[in-house]
Amino acid sequence: MHTESDEDLVKRIASGDRLAMKVLFSRHQVRVYRFVLRLVRDETLAEDVISDVFMDLWRQADRFEARSSVATWLLAIARNKAWSLLRKRRDAELDEDYASTIEDESDGPEVVLQKQDKGLAIRACLERLSAEHREVVDLVYYHETSLEEVARIVGIPENTVKTRLFHARKKLGEMLKAAGIDRGWP
Amino acid sequence: MSDGIASDPRRSEIEELLPFYANGRIGEADRKRVEAALAGDADLAARLVIIRDDLAETVLLNESLGAASPRALDRLMAGIAAEPRPAPLLERAKGGVFGWFGGLLAAQPPRRLAYAGAFALALIVLQGAAITGLALRDGSGFQTASAPGSRPSERYVLLSFAPEAKAGEIAAFFKRYDASVVDGPRANGFFKVRVGDASLTQAQVDAIAARMKADRGIVSFVAASP
Repeated sequence: MHTESDEDLVKRIASGDRLAMKVLFSRHQVRVYRFVLRLVRDETLAEDVISDVFMDLWRQADRFEARSSVATWLLAIARNKAWSLLRKRRDAELDEDYASTIEDESDGPEVVLQKQDKGLAIRACLERLSAEHREVVDLVYYHETSLEEVARIVGIPENTVKTRLFHARKKLGEMLKAAGIDRGWP
Repeated sequence: MSDGIASDPRRSEIEELLPFYANGRIGEADRKRVEAALAGDADLAARLVIIRDDLAETVLLNESLGAASPRALDRLMAGIAAEPRPAPLLERAKGGVFGWFGGLLAAQPPRRLAYAGAFALALIVLQGAAITGLALRDGSGFQTASAPGSRPSERYVLLSFAPEAKAGEIAAFFKRYDASVVDGPRANGFFKVRVGDASLTQAQVDAIAARMKADRGIVSFVAASP
């Protein structure tokens, strides 16, 4: 079993160790992939992005500073690359808010409510949050990041993180309410 | 409906910390402030219940996304192979021990260098064979830290325990379902629990999760997990 710390692996990568690169990739690729996939919503694109993220790590490993964890560093690189892709889509004159309105194959919250599953309804609404809201919700609820880490990954002040997360939660509650689930707030 | 929390800056400040209280990534001082506020504020406590519901569903949603195909690693390694770069350690050693060693090699006659190279190659092959043999004998292989113990041939649920659950009750719970923890506790208090092998259908796993949910005093959340 590999017990070497991420930081030690990065040091090995900085000296050109490809095996260390594979170990670090195996350790983090699932979460980075899911984070990117939730933003770009295309599996092939998400795979390309994570390859590029780890390629950046390969190139910049000797510049890694332990001010943040390797996981935070990777998510920050991934986030920049994913948003760069989303912006290119906008530049291609697709819908202005492509990420938030893209057609979803899953049932809508009203449909899943008819199926009497509140959990499914919440997940359907989570899918329909805007990309900006999705990323903060995912970072806090799934990636278990602290306030400081979200600020670092997204590149915004901590107070903005709190405000954005509040509005994401409120939006989620409003969507559920519109679908017939009143949780008492908002 | 008016929002009494939003109109009170003190309560509002605590409310914005609740997601980080729920995911376990909050400083000690803030954690104590949040807990003190929750103890005497039913509205804040109700807000926390909503946040925990959303957190659990966000985890399930993300867990259902699967993982990247081997193509991602292949693409990365091909990119690395195509990108020649000097190893920084070697660069730093220029003029140092590597420089001395380089000079020493340059001073040797070609035949001696050829024998030394062949010997070094044989040594590497022997080491490789020995390491491979050990790895095969061990049989455990490499497991990712992100999914320790996870094998697609098994069926899982994601659950969190009720704060009032006793150790004996939890032990009996696991025995009753022939279940075992494969991952956790995560910072948000969730555990990934094995409930059977691949012979279980999704409907059967859902049924087990539903039965587990009925144990209200022991678990606070249960759902089938990929």
